Amino acid sequence: MEILQFALRKLIGGIPLILGVTFISFLLMVYFGPDQTFELLGKNPTADEIAEVRHQLGYDKSFVVRYGEFLKQLVTMDFGLSDSTGEPVSSMLGRTIPVSIALVTPGFILGNLLGVLLALVAAYHRSGWIDKAIMGFAVVGMSVSFLIVIIAFQILLSSSFGLNLFPVRGWNVNSVGDYVMYVTVPTLASVFVALGYNTRFYRAVLVEEMTRDHVRTARAFGISPMKLFYKHILKNALIPIITRVMFSIPLVVVSGSLLIESYFGIPGVGKITFDAITSGDQPVLKAVVSLTAILFVLTLLITDILYRAVDPRVSLK
Amino acid sequence: MNVTDSRSATHVWLVSLVASLVLTACGNDTSPTSADSVAKPSRAEREGLKVYRHSMDGAPSSIDPVQARNVYSNTVILNAYDTLYAFKYLARPYEVKANLAVDMPDISDDGLVYRIKIKQGVYFVDDPAFEGGTGRELTAEDFVYSLKRQFDPSQRPAGAWLWQGHIVGLDEWKSDGSDYSQEIEGLKALDRYTIQITLIKPYPQLVFTLAQGYAAIVPREAVEKYGREMGSHAVGSGPFKVVSYDSASIVFEKNKKFRQEPVDIYFEGYNEATQKETGVEAINGRSPPFVDRLEIHFINQNPARWSAFTKGNETQFLLVPNEQVDTVFSSKNPITPNPEYASKYHMGWYQEAGLVFMTFNMSFPTIGYNDDPEQERKNKALRCAMIKAFDWERRNESFYFNLGRVFPGIIPPVTPEFDPDLSTDSITRDLDGARKLLADNGWTPENLPTLSYGSQAGVSQRLFFEQFRGFMVKIGYPTKKLKLKQYATFGDYSKAMANSELELVFKGWGLDFPDAQNTLQLFYGPNASPGSNDANYKNPEYDRLFQEASVMQPSPERTALYRRMNEMAIADCIGIMSLSRTRIMMWHKDVIAVPDREIVGGFFMKYVDIDKSLLPAGSKGK
Repeated sequence: MEILQFALRKLIGGIPLILGVTFISFLLMVYFGPDQTFELLGKNPTADEIAEVRHQLGYDKSFVVRYGEFLKQLVTMDFGLSDSTGEPVSSMLGRTIPVSIALVTPGFILGNLLGVLLALVAAYHRSGWIDKAIMGFAVVGMSVSFLIVIIAFQILLSSSFGLNLFPVRGWNVNSVGDYVMYVTVPTLASVFVALGYNTRFYRAVLVEEMTRDHVRTARAFGISPMKLFYKHILKNALIPIITRVMFSIPLVVVSGSLLIESYFGIPGVGKITFDAITSGDQPVLKAVVSLTAILFVLTLLITDILYRAVDPRVSLK
Repeated sequence: MNVTDSRSATHVWLVSLVASLVLTACGNDTSPTSADSVAKPSRAEREGLKVYRHSMDGAPSSIDPVQARNVYSNTVILNAYDTLYAFKYLARPYEVKANLAVDMPDISDDGLVYRIKIKQGVYFVDDPAFEGGTGRELTAEDFVYSLKRQFDPSQRPAGAWLWQGHIVGLDEWKSDGSDYSQEIEGLKALDRYTIQITLIKPYPQLVFTLAQGYAAIVPREAVEKYGREMGSHAVGSGPFKVVSYDSASIVFEKNKKFRQEPVDIYFEGYNEATQKETGVEAINGRSPPFVDRLEIHFINQNPARWSAFTKGNETQFLLVPNEQVDTVFSSKNPITPNPEYASKYHMGWYQEAGLVFMTFNMSFPTIGYNDDPEQERKNKALRCAMIKAFDWERRNESFYFNLGRVFPGIIPPVTPEFDPDLSTDSITRDLDGARKLLADNGWTPENLPTLSYGSQAGVSQRLFFEQFRGFMVKIGYPTKKLKLKQYATFGDYSKAMANSELELVFKGWGLDFPDAQNTLQLFYGPNASPGSNDANYKNPEYDRLFQEASVMQPSPERTALYRRMNEMAIADCIGIMSLSRTRIMMWHKDVIAVPDREIVGGFFMKYVDIDKSLLPAGSKGK
């Protein structure tokens, strides 16, 4: 009951956040976003034709009216049709979000799990050569451009100039076997990059926990390293870990991975978002921005509940 | 407790993952636009299907004929829909031929009335839009309806410019509210299979326009059922039927109802000397389409396009990316393919049906027209000096591998009206002449105007600008006075051009049809901004000649007028003009085709055949 009340309070409290985020996004879209008029016009347009298209896109309406219409769409979750392809935005999202989730989930899980594991090892061997080696690897992962990593993995694992084990691109998934074939290289590329950031972050968190008094005391009592790490360090470090993991989820789910999807020819939500940005397809952009905001609010809620789950001292009030 | 929690968290993720996979799999069965209904290549081929996998360096924004605005949309549309006319598959220079029309049009003596008979027994693909889900016969009324759509603002059309001011009553039909029940005097279906088009004045390019994706024929039922969703849902009568379409690819299957018309390669313009190597003789006498499945993959990224092609079984066609030109050619002058690649792939190259050039915006008094005749004279001298300072040779070498063809003016080599004997002074760098022109006309670094050079955002575009600025610095143009204005999207850049916001505009133009009228209209006064004359050139004599030529059939007289207009544009120094790029293509040995992405465009794909026995021994794609 307490959790339900808390959830309701949080959800209601999230409404101003959603309104604020969507208002700022809408403001930016209207005044600084790409203008799709000239994407839709043919050659030698007349002033009347330009006005016609602007009217159809709703550009000739006042900001207040446009924002009001947007809020209505937000409430009804009906964002209309894409200005480019004419496809309903809801069906575009319904088609692409599952693809993006299926694409990024393995990399997301592996990136975080391996990040925590490497961070534990590095923290345990703090200042030793193992720590330095892991941190060196992390810096490499962080420093090399994601684009270069993608191309390198594509060439190494997929092309005829490399091992030629996986498809270069595409998303032709009809079975688990297909899924493994298509998701492996994108996953390895994203893990390679994410691991750098994750390892550094988790190591910093774990090192901080390791220097706490209770850890020193536990060590003095002769507790085994495994028990020490699991019970006294990892558990206490869960709050920042949960925060990092949870706040990545909305971006993973809605925004997808633009570069991965573009380079691997995967028709996910990141790709349609990028296309919408470059073409000025506002219905798609509005939907993606709104969904991301809503997911962030939900994530905040779930994160708070998880805090309580891992640390009973945290009050839901 | 923590152990349990972490297990739960793992379960949540697993459930999400499985749910995603299930959703994805479900999409296969239910959504016609789902990417994952792309059949497994190996499975399709194991079933004995012929599959052709094409790659394009961009994606269509829409597959509705009313929005056939770019080469990507046009390519897709021409495979899903029918047009009355088409371009001959193999003829170079390009020639138009009847497609859905029985023959070339019957034209009245005054050149105003076109009667076109269409083929009988042509059916649209099956679709729920039709009664009983079975595609009905295509009739003359469908063509009339499809052309009317281009004049109906509710359809968001982009192709009206092709027929605006040409067909009796069509513009009025639009201004009267685009009521489809209202007949148009100049656009009629005389009977089930006869179309009559009546023109306001002769329009020699009309037949070319009827070979465009814009003129593709759609059934009214589909438009009424799908509305704007026609942008992602094709219902045509073309050689292929769309089975899936998304941002990464489009997949077609053979339209089993497509009319049986054996190919006569000699009629199509077969040239044994240049085309025998392609094996295209094998399709002679057979009815297209020859492949069961056509996949077009939209791959913007050059490395991915290259890897997918060279892998052997992912794509079978490649427009060679710039960075690979040195790899595939062992010499560029003369062009000599690298033997390693030539043994593995077919290779072809041709001059694009288009050009790249830069114009000065004449509406700016600082560089173009000016109320003060003396200043206007000085402005012209400045423009001419900048033209002389531009180094086309370096531009060609730096960005086009010295494979582009630089030519004076705006009439590209691919058109029959091109003048190979035209003076090359306007494309020859003359720094001394440029400096003298500036000095003689009182231009100094202090009084030279600040100019904005517009482009879409991108590294290449910035390099283009920096090189241009470097050329101008050589004649004393201060670096700070040449500014780059980049725009995030092509739409924003187009808007800036349409609003005449830029003094210097660098652009490319792809020919809509093989007639220099299509490029000469870029300087026609009435087409000034927001039209395509973004130089805002206004020369009454040029406009008079343009109007005079616009009603003339191709003839030496018309060519002479075209050339005079071209010379006027050069003499008035309104642009730094021009270069036609060389397109380099490679396709697998098992693909029997003469690819072309220019005027023939998407028409060639129905003639593509696959013969695995032609693959070199040990090929990975085999």
